[in-house]
Amino acid sequence: MTDQSNMMALPHLQHKPSKLRLARVLGFALLLWLAIVAVGGPDLIGQDPAKQSLLSTLERPSLAHPLGTDHLGRDMVARLLSGAQLSLSLAFLSVITAGLPGTIIGITAAWFGGWIDRILGAFADAVLALPGLLLVLMLAAMSPGSWWALYAGISLTLWVEYFRYTRQRARIVLAEPSVEASRLLGLGPWLLVRRHLIPEIGPGLLTIAAFGAATAVTSVAALGFVSVGIRPPTAEWGVMMTELLPYWREAPFLILQPVGCLVITVLALHLSVGGMRRP
Amino acid sequence: MIYSIEVKDLSVFAGSTHLMGPVSFKVKPGGTLVIMGETGAGKSLIAQAILGTLPGVLRAEGEITVNGRRVDQLYQIDRAALWGREIATLPQEPWRALDPLMRSFKQVKEAHRYVADRQAIEADLATTEAFEALGLSGAEQRLPGALSGGMAQRVAFAAATAANAPILLADEPTKGLDSARHAKVVGLLAQVPQAGGTLLAITHEASVARHLGGTLIVMRDGTLVEQGATDAVLKTPSDPFTRDLLNADPQNWPKTQSHTTAETVLTVRDLAVERGKKCLFEGFNLDVHAGEKIALTGPSGIGKTTLLDAIAGLLKPASGTVTRGQSLPRHGVQKLYQDPPAAFPSRVPLVHTLRDVARRHKTDWSRVMQFLEQLGIHPSLLERLPDEVSGGELQRISIARALTVGPKVLLADEPTSRLDPITQRETLLMLDRIAEDEKIAIILVTHDQSIAQKWADREISLV
Repeated sequence: MTDQSNMMALPHLQHKPSKLRLARVLGFALLLWLAIVAVGGPDLIGQDPAKQSLLSTLERPSLAHPLGTDHLGRDMVARLLSGAQLSLSLAFLSVITAGLPGTIIGITAAWFGGWIDRILGAFADAVLALPGLLLVLMLAAMSPGSWWALYAGISLTLWVEYFRYTRQRARIVLAEPSVEASRLLGLGPWLLVRRHLIPEIGPGLLTIAAFGAATAVTSVAALGFVSVGIRPPTAEWGVMMTELLPYWREAPFLILQPVGCLVITVLALHLSVGGMRRP
Repeated sequence: MIYSIEVKDLSVFAGSTHLMGPVSFKVKPGGTLVIMGETGAGKSLIAQAILGTLPGVLRAEGEITVNGRRVDQLYQIDRAALWGREIATLPQEPWRALDPLMRSFKQVKEAHRYVADRQAIEADLATTEAFEALGLSGAEQRLPGALSGGMAQRVAFAAATAANAPILLADEPTKGLDSARHAKVVGLLAQVPQAGGTLLAITHEASVARHLGGTLIVMRDGTLVEQGATDAVLKTPSDPFTRDLLNADPQNWPKTQSHTTAETVLTVRDLAVERGKKCLFEGFNLDVHAGEKIALTGPSGIGKTTLLDAIAGLLKPASGTVTRGQSLPRHGVQKLYQDPPAAFPSRVPLVHTLRDVARRHKTDWSRVMQFLEQLGIHPSLLERLPDEVSGGELQRISIARALTVGPKVLLADEPTSRLDPITQRETLLMLDRIAEDEKIAIILVTHDQSIAQKWADREISLV
């Protein structure tokens, strides 16, 4: 019997953290890359995403057009970049406009409790009872093709999640003896939020934010694909999918490009917060 | 001879850091082994290594044999098969081990049905019998939240022993119980070896060890300092640490001096408090003087904590008044908690928490450092999170935090019930010194009659 065999190590437990860390690093790298691409947009390559050239349609990748051209001879790289700009800016803004009020209302409800909590909770339930897609469709129908309608619709459906999560967690945290101790020591509301609430619910909120951003990106594409969201000729991933679908036999590499972009974006958002739990 | 538990040269490591050991012992069927020592001495690690429930970052070396079978080399899944069938365990703080959403009868029945593999009807009968034997009749349909600490302990005991596992591991089974329930749980444990089972109990109370008998292991900082028959070790301890541990028992404390002054800081008149519409007590009167040490005793659930809350102004009394003295500042009443980690924001380094308080009350940081030094806390500990320092250290840091406010009254809700006797004595002696130096009145809630007699100037019993 060797000494080695006497060990009772649990190897699977020890390897887990490094694997998760790798996934998160990959997710963050992808996100960073997407952010640079989205900020730069089509200007990065100096091509106009709307410039048509009917003499060179459905071209294979070449030096002039690294990812080929679409059915109207427009450069695919420029169009994908323009789509990234649109989708990611919308996702980013809707997460902020949904997240901040959602969190603040959630903390308010948990803090005061009683009838304030009940009214806010009932309001959130009412919003939740309305299917999210329906609200977006309604707003899109009121002002067709508008970026603002999409943005407002998505934000209005996303905030409830933040509200419910924050309220639930904050109620538990605020009932802890440590909060009672801090109050007894004379610490004010801002310190209670900063020392007790933010460290406890922050990581969870980040996870919701990343998943919410992914939902926003897919919603924009889905609405574009069924022709109620952004209208052509604006380059948007969902719109591009619809436009390129008829040509999938002649140029299958074209339709795959917006689909790939969507998959990479959602994957990056999910990876970056995966495994974000208690240390 | 087949031993129930045979441990040979057991050591526990975290990476390459040696945490505990080497420890060797043998327990016969029908035998008892008691492990004593300070908090953090590695007592629980022994139990976890035997069970196979050490946290993933820890590693055990050595041979462990349970009922003649080497278990340290088994796969986790095979070790788990022993749980409840060969080794049962009675966890610390049983109310946390019970499912909060399942009624107590069902929890015990579940163990009879699935761990002991009985038919539904047999399991029903066995559970009913167990409830009768443990004096739990009437509590069958209660949720764990509605059980008292002692009852929860017995329900957990019934569930743990359902499959008649011959070995019972009990990790600090008497923690936080009042004296009546304390005696009952110890009696329950003492029956295990009488019925032919094997008992391994971890405790830091000499009285528990004395009652259980058998053999005794004394641990300090992960090393074994003394091993032998319990009676002999308790009577004539050979190691200085064991002697220290036994001397720290509150029964052996000297009586502290009184520092009471004439100044009244708090007056309570005709106080009645209720919690959830239920009146806990009424007509309570109390005058608190600066520098006075008051012990508040009484059985669990009588409303000691509620009384403290009412005095601290955290709870509105049903009737009566709590009048604060002229000299008492707004935050002049501070509280110490039973579970120190629960009294600190869990993810914030301690230094931030202390600095927040110092800034709020315009206390000079050097004064806070002075308090910490008096309490024997090294400033480097402040960089850590609350769960990275020991319970005794954290309780002392919370004393320093309360002193930063400059209080006149300190309400201590069983501040030492989770600490080992040596740390308990040190902490209470510090509180005594603080009462003298800062002229602070201290109201101490305790379950221990000896502490109330030896430490306090006067005792108030709630009945």
